[in-house]
Amino acid sequence: MMSVGISGYSAYVPRLRIKKEDYAKAWGSFQAAGVAEKSVMGFDEDVLTAAAKVSRKALESVPLPPGNVTRFAFASTTAPYLEKLLSGTVLVNVGMPNGAFASDHTTSTRAGTEAFISAFEHVKATQGGVAVVAAADAPRASMWDPLEHPMGAGAAGFVLSSDNLIAEVEGYSSYVMEHFGERFRPTGGDLLQDLSVKKFFATAFMTCTTKACGALVKKLGAKPEEYAHVVIQQPDAKTPGSVAGKMLFNDAQMASGLVSTNLGDLGAASTPVGLAAALDSAKVGDRIMVVSYGSGAGSDAISLKVVSDRKPVPGFKEQLEKKEYIDYIQYVKLKGALK
Amino acid sequence: MAHVSVPMYWRTIPQRYKMVGQKCKKCGAVNFPPKGVCKHCNASSDFEELQLSGNGKVHTFVLIGAGGAPPEFAEQMKAGGSYPVAIVELAEGPKVIGQMTDVNPKDVKFGMSVKAELKKIYTEEGVIRYGFKFAPDAEGK
Amino acid sequence: MKRVAIVGAGQSKYGEFPEKGIKELFFDAYKDMSSSVDKNFDPRQIESAYVGNLGSGGFQLGNMSALVAEFVGLPYIHTVRVENACASGGYALVAAVMDVLSGAHKMVLAGGVEKMTDVSGMKQKYWLGVSGDTEYERLAGTTFAGLYALIAHRHMHEFGTKREHLSSVAVKNHKNGAQNPKAQFQREITLEQAMKAPVVAYPLNLFDCCSTTDGASSLLVCDAEVAKEYTDTPVYVSGFGTSSDYLAIHDRLNTVTLEGTKRASQSAYKMAGLTAKDIQLAEVHDCFTIAELLAYEDLGFCEKGKAGQFIEEGHTKIDGDKPVNVSGGLKSKGHPIGSTGTGQAYEMFNQLRGTAQKPTRQVKGVERGLVHNVGGSGGTVSVSILVR
Repeated sequence: MMSVGISGYSAYVPRLRIKKEDYAKAWGSFQAAGVAEKSVMGFDEDVLTAAAKVSRKALESVPLPPGNVTRFAFASTTAPYLEKLLSGTVLVNVGMPNGAFASDHTTSTRAGTEAFISAFEHVKATQGGVAVVAAADAPRASMWDPLEHPMGAGAAGFVLSSDNLIAEVEGYSSYVMEHFGERFRPTGGDLLQDLSVKKFFATAFMTCTTKACGALVKKLGAKPEEYAHVVIQQPDAKTPGSVAGKMLFNDAQMASGLVSTNLGDLGAASTPVGLAAALDSAKVGDRIMVVSYGSGAGSDAISLKVVSDRKPVPGFKEQLEKKEYIDYIQYVKLKGALK
Repeated sequence: MAHVSVPMYWRTIPQRYKMVGQKCKKCGAVNFPPKGVCKHCNASSDFEELQLSGNGKVHTFVLIGAGGAPPEFAEQMKAGGSYPVAIVELAEGPKVIGQMTDVNPKDVKFGMSVKAELKKIYTEEGVIRYGFKFAPDAEGK
Repeated sequence: MKRVAIVGAGQSKYGEFPEKGIKELFFDAYKDMSSSVDKNFDPRQIESAYVGNLGSGGFQLGNMSALVAEFVGLPYIHTVRVENACASGGYALVAAVMDVLSGAHKMVLAGGVEKMTDVSGMKQKYWLGVSGDTEYERLAGTTFAGLYALIAHRHMHEFGTKREHLSSVAVKNHKNGAQNPKAQFQREITLEQAMKAPVVAYPLNLFDCCSTTDGASSLLVCDAEVAKEYTDTPVYVSGFGTSSDYLAIHDRLNTVTLEGTKRASQSAYKMAGLTAKDIQLAEVHDCFTIAELLAYEDLGFCEKGKAGQFIEEGHTKIDGDKPVNVSGGLKSKGHPIGSTGTGQAYEMFNQLRGTAQKPTRQVKGVERGLVHNVGGSGGTVSVSILVR
């Protein structure tokens, strides 16, 4: 059977950052466990400009001309329009063919892996198919809501094909259930809500991630310790650790993909950016487990095996270091929170 | 009150999103933004499309300060402060005006290498107008 | 060429006038013009009128020339609104001259009017940012200050022009304007004030920019053969030239040259049989301080790149060898867009005839003057040479 996987990838971290100390100054505390600072988009950026950037860079990293793309999948929870196709903006900018099948995945933080898997299925089913997946997010909530504290910004793009692979996709599993009250935006509302029933929500996170991951490990006949890198959804920097043990993963396996410490909650781009960071530090033969989570609720688990040492430039770490700090007032203005 | 209407903006999408220029079939020179008749020979309107690289160098620049922004950009000014605007000499020859992005205004210099990127330009009538801006290009020569 | 004459010239006061609209302002200029004609003035002899106007906030975009003409008692004549942005007035004068030269009409009015202070600051910016290349320049986030700043910065980079040079234009023109009873800002400023004003578009600051102004001006242009019927001291239009240029600065051959100014002035000099050296006095388009420096170079008063030195040496002061903008220029006298060009000619008419309002501002013995009017950032330019 034909191997399908990642032939190119790119992460994008906005230049602007805010430190937890600035939040503490403004609000008395910073309620984002384990997050030291987080990334912020500039006034002229949004998830589409970020998606355009990672799509282009991912294609350049292969390299592959955008004209070869047959499938484009865009993921974000922070769509600039509630109704209007979003992927077209990116498709046209990057120069992907108008005839490529494009889709928008926007209703939960699971959207990143949802897009990834739908693109993967396309390539598997299409002779010579080339898919681009772009997950970009900059989640928003009311500045009065502690839920807002971890919210960062970032993006990752992947080229999936059956040629020139960096990492082969070994398989995926999903787990979806009915759940509510956690991280939702009701019709007509611009801001995220959360009923803050903590244990209730932790249970959903635990159930979805462990069930999806467990099913995949079982399907592949793999052992948890065989994974050099594990990327679990990062609403903050502590939550992934709280479920890892149940899946028999340890902190060392999660180190390379734990991006929330410096970037905050990247929403639908959380596991995609984590995956890009893990790929940057992976060696040939390494296996990578990705487990997303979206409220509502559901998880996808994806298993990859690294087959090439090729890395994109600039790497994730370089972008992490290129930063400029802003204060809380600038942050509030850039987030559009002052109407 | 809109200045550049939505259809008017839409007609320039090939330039704003992708920097599609024209190569004159008579004199070989490159026009960007497009002209009816080649501005170099003023003798031909026979062009082929040319995808520009988006790479270039800063020819001149300004820093738009408070009060110096058109109404469409007033919010950007208030939220993000002064912003640089440059005329960039593109690798393929033409010069074009554009905002600088992803840069501290004090780091903008004559001759610096830049690369075009898709950014939000402004929002009017509820429609986000995307287009190119120029970001510093560390790898540029 | 001495085939076309100006026998009367008037101007409203420039400034902010909440009680006056375009009709009233134009009437002020028209009355002033009528009373300046020494003898035999008869409005019924005016056969056509060219009125410079940009848009007056958009409220009377259609048929405004007929409106202001009938308001001052000139119905049933040939009227045209001339629109070439800030050069509308200059082109209105040229249109009137060409009308007379064509033989179609013998007595023609050339004027201009603008009402800029009726609308909010934001709406003003909507209206003012429409004369560059709207699609590219404006949507890069620039107003005219930004565009001229792009030119200024490159000029500084290429030629070592200094901030002080820009500011000295403002200081000089305010000194002149302080003497002009019709100027908007009749006060002097110091170099320090000019240097330290808030930045509008670096390297340009607030004192590098002209203001928004209400005002009107009007000229009575006629066939030179009949000029002496109206005055013993007509002023002749001995040459004129106009040129357009690429609207967007990025499209131009040279960022630091207004090609339109070069070409328009060369045509005007040629027609008048004069050179830049022969010009004794000039009213140039200083919408921004850099624009006056560019004018020195592109009109041929000094070499390209030497305008900074030229102003530093004092040539263009009122007591220099080539005084420029003794009216105060756009900077201090004011810049009511459509009126600016004919307003410059009004000043030159009086300087040439020795009738400037105060002895302190009258330049003595002037026989050959030049008026220079620029539309946008140089997209249109008109130059006329007026002689005694």
